[in-house]
Amino acid sequence: MKNVEAWSAEDVSDWLIKEGMPEYMDVLRQSQTDGPALLRLTQADFQVPPLSRVSHDNGQQLLERMDILRMTTHIEDHKNGHANGHVGGMPNGTSKLQRNGTLGRKDFEMIRIPMPTIEPPRCSFPTEWWKTGIAFTYAVICFVTTSVVISVVHERVPPKEHTPPLPDKFFDLFDRREWAFSICEINGMLLVGLWLIQWILLKHRSIIGRRFFFIVGTLYLYRCITMYITTLPVPGMHFKCSPKLLGDWEAQMRRIMKMIAGGGLSITGSHTMCGDYLYSGHTVMLTLTFLFIKEYSPRRFWWYHWFCLALSATGIFCILLAHDHYTVDVVVAYFITTRLFWWYHTMANQQSLKETSQSNLLSRVWWYRLFRYFEENVNGTVPRNYQLPVSVRALSWMRGVKYSRLDSQ
Amino acid sequence: MASPELASAEDSSTRNPNSGKEDGSVSGTKKTCPVHAPAGEEAKRSFRKGIARHNDYVKISVPESKVSRLPTEWWKTAIAFFYAAFNLVLTTVVITVVHERVPPKESSPPLPDKFFDYIDRVKWAFTVTEVNGMVLVAIWLVQLFFFKYKSIACRRFFFLIGTLYLYRCVTMYVTTLPVPGMHMNCAPKLQGDTQAKIQRILQLISGAGLSINNSHLLCGDFLYSGHTVMLTLTYLFIKEYSPKSFWWYHLVCWLLSAVGVLCILVAHEHYTVDVVVAYFITSRLFWWYHTMANLQILKCSPNNYLTNTWWNPLFNFFERNVQTSVPCSYSWPITWASACLKNPCKKYSMVQSSREE
Repeated sequence: MKNVEAWSAEDVSDWLIKEGMPEYMDVLRQSQTDGPALLRLTQADFQVPPLSRVSHDNGQQLLERMDILRMTTHIEDHKNGHANGHVGGMPNGTSKLQRNGTLGRKDFEMIRIPMPTIEPPRCSFPTEWWKTGIAFTYAVICFVTTSVVISVVHERVPPKEHTPPLPDKFFDLFDRREWAFSICEINGMLLVGLWLIQWILLKHRSIIGRRFFFIVGTLYLYRCITMYITTLPVPGMHFKCSPKLLGDWEAQMRRIMKMIAGGGLSITGSHTMCGDYLYSGHTVMLTLTFLFIKEYSPRRFWWYHWFCLALSATGIFCILLAHDHYTVDVVVAYFITTRLFWWYHTMANQQSLKETSQSNLLSRVWWYRLFRYFEENVNGTVPRNYQLPVSVRALSWMRGVKYSRLDSQ
Repeated sequence: MASPELASAEDSSTRNPNSGKEDGSVSGTKKTCPVHAPAGEEAKRSFRKGIARHNDYVKISVPESKVSRLPTEWWKTAIAFFYAAFNLVLTTVVITVVHERVPPKESSPPLPDKFFDYIDRVKWAFTVTEVNGMVLVAIWLVQLFFFKYKSIACRRFFFLIGTLYLYRCVTMYVTTLPVPGMHMNCAPKLQGDTQAKIQRILQLISGAGLSINNSHLLCGDFLYSGHTVMLTLTYLFIKEYSPKSFWWYHLVCWLLSAVGVLCILVAHEHYTVDVVVAYFITSRLFWWYHTMANLQILKCSPNNYLTNTWWNPLFNFFERNVQTSVPCSYSWPITWASACLKNPCKKYSMVQSSREE
């Protein structure tokens, strides 16, 4: 294509046809508009006849096309102009940049700059329900193991007459209240219910569910270990432990089933076995549900967070008030739960922590491989988006905090 | 820096006054190059001329940082030392208080423990533990002496020891476990005799709580085990701050540590749960702290839950100016020695260390 500067009126007409603006053709040919004149057209020219008669958009389209033409021309000029004019001076020092910008070279070399095509982004949060299924199975196994271990440990609890309750600072300060443990369990059930509702409404429920099952399973697994190795005596003389079934396997199995069915709560009548003191499973559930509720709900729902915090704290306080666990059980349970939660979530949110390296000492935990398996395809922080589970159309009616690209790093 | 380049380029430009105007963006055409700002044109042009003459390299100037990336800051180490000392003294006070509350072993027999069911008591095992502990501490001190960045490593050690003993105070105090075995001889209780209690505290501190030194007479400090904490922590520090190639050294220290911990149980001096909890808390705290200190990217990350701990302000105070991982390099502590024993185990190239930021 010749440079616009060298266009004749014919060339201008051809260009107009090519660009799909034949209406200007007659007018411009009549006024003998050639290349340079075309480039000199401004918006003012379109306000007066003759151009105003044929133009229906005040010449916007034509002016735009001319801009593009100008730019294309300019680029071609500078392709040669940059190469020779900016660096090192002219080799022979004679000719300036010629007006057609070609410096005598007729064939341009078009350099293709490959623009990366924007592919549809891979989903950063794939659902992978089968991984959630594995995490659920893991949690179930840990729960069943816990029940079995409680049943085993129950046989070894020293009778309360033989080994009195251990001295505990909280018990010295506060006397026992019978109704306190019911409060604790009601709070626990409320929190679990709230968390369940919230979880159903989350958009990325498979990932978050996976995390919950994994953390709960691991905490109960740790609990199995600490319960089993050393057996603490009952914390209060008010305890009614069911009689020991020495060696009677069938009865023990039935007891285990009853405990699983009741969820280990005394409200449901399945908290009859003793010995599971270090550390407290009730505290684990209260703390963990609160942490998850707070983490996966919008920041601005501060009243909701405070309400759940109150439920959780009151529940834990009532465990101690009911003299149902030693203080050290509750303290250790809180410590282990919070540390595990924060550890897991920090590793999940940081890409650099998902690979083993000399600086990443968080990867030395025993469950790191399992963690990698669960979280390897999750890129970045899971946003708090909500979505009705029965989605004929995906309805996000509560926009939580949206993480932009900047934030998620 | 670009200036010498520029200076030579300016010379060339003065020598060719005519060539100052070849640039297509100036010189009277009506096309103005939209991307070039007219202001810095002169400098750029001459710079490019200079490049054209030596047209094979481009100098990228790396800004030299004036501040050391691993400042010593001994005063922070001193603060960490006082923190640790305070917590150790607090622990001895709490042990003395708790001792008064331990139920007598006749009325409150030892709790059932799985390990005790399988392994009977061996009398000399606790001596092994304490000897191992002392050897490990000595090895760590020697290693620290030759370590180049001893102030930083020391600070971390004191901080972790202090925090672990603080946690220990809390767990010992809230619930008192009975003695793990009938063999334990607990010193008689001093009801309200404050003078004698203070004496006991001093005796405990001076003997570092070791039974070898006859200062391990008080009972009640069972959950969790301080001996396990020392054994585990010194091993973790020794391993972290020594070259990776010394696997035999790490193995020996690991054996010392593991045998020491096992002997605590064999001697029936602590319940199994004490040892397990102590190991767990020590290792987790160590890894947590060091990951936060090593990965600078965590410091700016918004989703970093590792900062939710109560000791995070202390951590920030200690580690604010430490900008990279501490490399394990060794040197003679006395600087006039000509031989500098440098053993860079983690070889940091420019590429790696910049990636860690």
